[in-house]
Amino acid sequence: MQVDVQAKKSAVTVARARRRGSLRSPHRRALRLGLLFVSPWIAGFLLFFAYPFFATIYYGFTDFNGVGAAHWIGFTNYVNLFHDPLFKTSLFNTFYYTAIELPLSTVAALGLALLLNMNVRGRAVYRTIFYIPSIVPLVASCMIFVWLFNPAFGIVNDLLIDAHLPSPDWFFSVAWSKPSFILLGLWGLGQPMVIYLAGLQGVPRDMYEVAALDGASAWKRFRYVTLPMISPVILFNVILQLVLCISYFTQAQVIEAADPGGPGTSTWFYVQYLYEQAFLFLKLGYSSAMAFFLFVISAVIMVILFRSSARWVYYASEQQ
Amino acid sequence: MKEQEGHENYAPGRMSRRRSRHLGWNRRLAVALAAVTVVGTVSLGAAGGGAAGAASSTASSSVINLTWWTMWSGTTLQLLNTMVTQFNKTHPGIHVTETNIPSSATTSTAKLLSTIAAGDPPDIFTEWWPEIGSFAADGDIVNMNQYLTGQYAGFEKWEYPVAVQAASYKGGLYAVPMSLNSWALYYNIPVLAEFGIKSPPKTLAQFDADQAKVWTFSGSRIVTMGFYPDTDGNGFQFYTTFFGATNCFNKAGKYDFESCPGAKAEMNWIASFDKYPYAQVMAEQTALGYVAGGQTDIFTNGKSGFELSGPWVGAQNVPVSNPDLEGRFGVEAFPGIVPKPSTLGQGNFNIIPKGSAHPAQAFEFISWLAGYHNESFVGSIDPTGGWVPAGPSVTKAPAYQKWLKANSWLSGFLPQMTSPYTQAPLLTSTQAQLFTAENTATANVLQKIMTPEQALKYIDQQANA
Repeated sequence: MQVDVQAKKSAVTVARARRRGSLRSPHRRALRLGLLFVSPWIAGFLLFFAYPFFATIYYGFTDFNGVGAAHWIGFTNYVNLFHDPLFKTSLFNTFYYTAIELPLSTVAALGLALLLNMNVRGRAVYRTIFYIPSIVPLVASCMIFVWLFNPAFGIVNDLLIDAHLPSPDWFFSVAWSKPSFILLGLWGLGQPMVIYLAGLQGVPRDMYEVAALDGASAWKRFRYVTLPMISPVILFNVILQLVLCISYFTQAQVIEAADPGGPGTSTWFYVQYLYEQAFLFLKLGYSSAMAFFLFVISAVIMVILFRSSARWVYYASEQQ
Repeated sequence: MKEQEGHENYAPGRMSRRRSRHLGWNRRLAVALAAVTVVGTVSLGAAGGGAAGAASSTASSSVINLTWWTMWSGTTLQLLNTMVTQFNKTHPGIHVTETNIPSSATTSTAKLLSTIAAGDPPDIFTEWWPEIGSFAADGDIVNMNQYLTGQYAGFEKWEYPVAVQAASYKGGLYAVPMSLNSWALYYNIPVLAEFGIKSPPKTLAQFDADQAKVWTFSGSRIVTMGFYPDTDGNGFQFYTTFFGATNCFNKAGKYDFESCPGAKAEMNWIASFDKYPYAQVMAEQTALGYVAGGQTDIFTNGKSGFELSGPWVGAQNVPVSNPDLEGRFGVEAFPGIVPKPSTLGQGNFNIIPKGSAHPAQAFEFISWLAGYHNESFVGSIDPTGGWVPAGPSVTKAPAYQKWLKANSWLSGFLPQMTSPYTQAPLLTSTQAQLFTAENTATANVLQKIMTPEQALKYIDQQANA
C-alpha cells in the first residue's frame, strides 16, 4: 500500500516535471538509451516501410518508369485503372479466390486442429503428417501440384479415370483453374492448424467439465465454450489468411509460367498483374497506383473485420 | 527495521549511491557496446565496398572488365563460355565475365531495371523478351549509333536487314543479335508416313488438311498431334509474316490489327484450331517443357506431325532429348498466304544498359559475338547453338558450311533471312504489351473465349494503351 502511494507520487512528480518542461536527468538518459537501442528498428522501418509506402503513393500520381524522371500526371493512373479490363479481371479473380479460400481454410484448419487435439494414440505422428506440407518450399509444392494435376500425365486424373469419374483439366481449364489453386492452398494448412491447436489447448478443461455437468452436448460445448474461447485465435488466423489471399502471387506465377494469367485470364491475380505492369511493361507509376488501391481496399476490409470482431471475439481478460 | 538495512537511502525516485554508480557503469557499457556495433557494421560495409572498388580500379588500370548477364543455362551456357574464353584470349585489353541470371521475363527485367536505377548495371545484357522498344523509349539502353564509326562504319550493312530492323528505334540502333531466330515448319517424317502423308505441304490448305489427319486420341488424351498454333507460347506474332500482318498501323501511327486484312485472315486461321483441346495441348507442353526443364516439346517428343519453330530444335532439343528423331525430320518454309519463304525477324539481342561503365568496349564485344570480323569462329559456334547468325557472311564460313552439309535440314532456315517478305515488328514503346496481348488473344481464341474480331480489338486496345 505504501509502495503504491509512493509510486503514484513519483508518477505525479514526473508528470509535473514534464509539464514544466524539465525532465529530470535520469529519465532523459533512460529515454536516450532506449532510443539508441531501438534506432536500428526505427531506421529499418523508415527505410524499408515508411519511405517505400509514401514513395508508392507519390509515384501513383506520376508516369514513373523506374529509371527516368517521374512526371506528375495527377489522377490519370487511377482513372485508367477503372478503364482497364484486366484490372477488373484480376481484382475479381483475387476476391473470388479470397471469398472461397478464406472460409474453407478456416473451417478446414480448425477441423483438423479439433481432430488432432483428441487424445488418441499416435497423435504426435498425425500432427507431424498434417504439418509437413506447410514446410515444403512453396515453389516445390507448386511443381508437385502441376505434375499431380496435369490432365495429360497426372496421377490424379489417372485415378479419376480408373474410377469412372469426371477428370477435369484443373489448372488448364477456365472452370477448374481457381478451384485448383484453392485445393493447393488447402494442402498447406499446417500453420493455421498449429495455431488453432495451441488455442484449443489454452481452453480451460474445467469449463468443459462444467458444461458437461450441465448437460451440454458435444456440439453445444463446441459452440458455447470452444468457439468463444478460441475466437481471438480465429481472428488472428483470419487476418493472416486474408493478407495471404489478397497478396496471392507466387503460386500463380510459378504454375502459370507457360501461360501467364491462366486459361482465359481466369487465374490472373491482382498482384501478378501489378508485377507485370511494373517489371514487364515498365509502368511503375501505374503499378504504384494499383498497389495503393490494394492497400486502401485491404485497409477497409481490416477495419470492417476489427469493428465486427467486437461482436464475436471474446477476450477472457476483459471479463476480469 | 533490519529489513530496511542497505535501503536507508531508498525512496521512490532515489537510489543508493552504490547502486547508482553500478547502474551508471552498466549504461556506459551498454552505450559503448551499441556504438561499437554500429561503427563496426558501417566500417565492414565500407571496407567491403572499398576493397571491391580498389580491386576494380587496380584491374581497370590495365584491363577493362566487362560484365555480361545472360539467362541461358545448360548446353547453351557452355557455348557462351566457349565464346567468352575465346574473346578474352584474343582481346587482352578486355576481360568479359559472363553471369547466368536464371529468370523469367519479368524477373530479368526487374533485375536489370534495379541495377540501372542503382547506377551499377551490367555492361551487356542479353534480352530474350521483346523489350528493346520499351527500353529504348524510356532511355534505359544505349543508342549504339555513336559506335558505328571507323571499323564499325559498315556494321549495319554487314547484318541481315531484318536484324537491323528488329533492333532499331526511331533511327537508332539499340541492340545487336546474340542469335537471330528463323521460323520454319518442322515435320516428323515417320509420323506423317503413318498417316499416308509422303511429302510436306506446299499450300496452307494442304497443310490444314494434312495436319488434321494426324490428330488421334485415347479417351481425352492426345496420342498424336497434327499441329497447334500456340505451343511453347508462340502465338499470333509468329505467324504474321505468313499472312502479311506483321506491322498493322493506322494513319495516326496506332496499332490497327482490327482493320488489317492479313491479321483477320491469320486470326481466323488460328480460330480454326479451336476444335482441338487447348487444355490437353498446354498440359502436355507444360509437363514436357516448363516443369521438366525446357528442352523437350511435343514435336521433339515425337508426338507431333508438325511444329513451327527455329533451328534450336534440330541443333539442341532433338540431340539432347530424343536422339532417335535425328535424321527423321525435315524443315520447310511455312506455307502461308504470302509468297514464301518468310520469317518473323526476331531473336535474342544484346543490349548495353544505361550507366554501363564501358559502353564502347561493350559494343566491341557484342559485335564480335555477332560475328563481325569474326565470321570463322562464330560460324563454328552458331549452328551448334541453333542460332541463325546476325550477318550472311557468317554462313559462308567454312565451319558453318561444313555444318550445313552435315545437317541439311538447317538450310531450310537460311533463305528466309534475305527474303523480301521477312519482316520484324516495328519497335515501339509498347512492344512488350503488344507481344503479351497477342499471346493472350491467341489463347483466348483457341479456347473460344474470344472471337477473332474480339481478339484483334483486344490486341489493339492493349498495345495502344
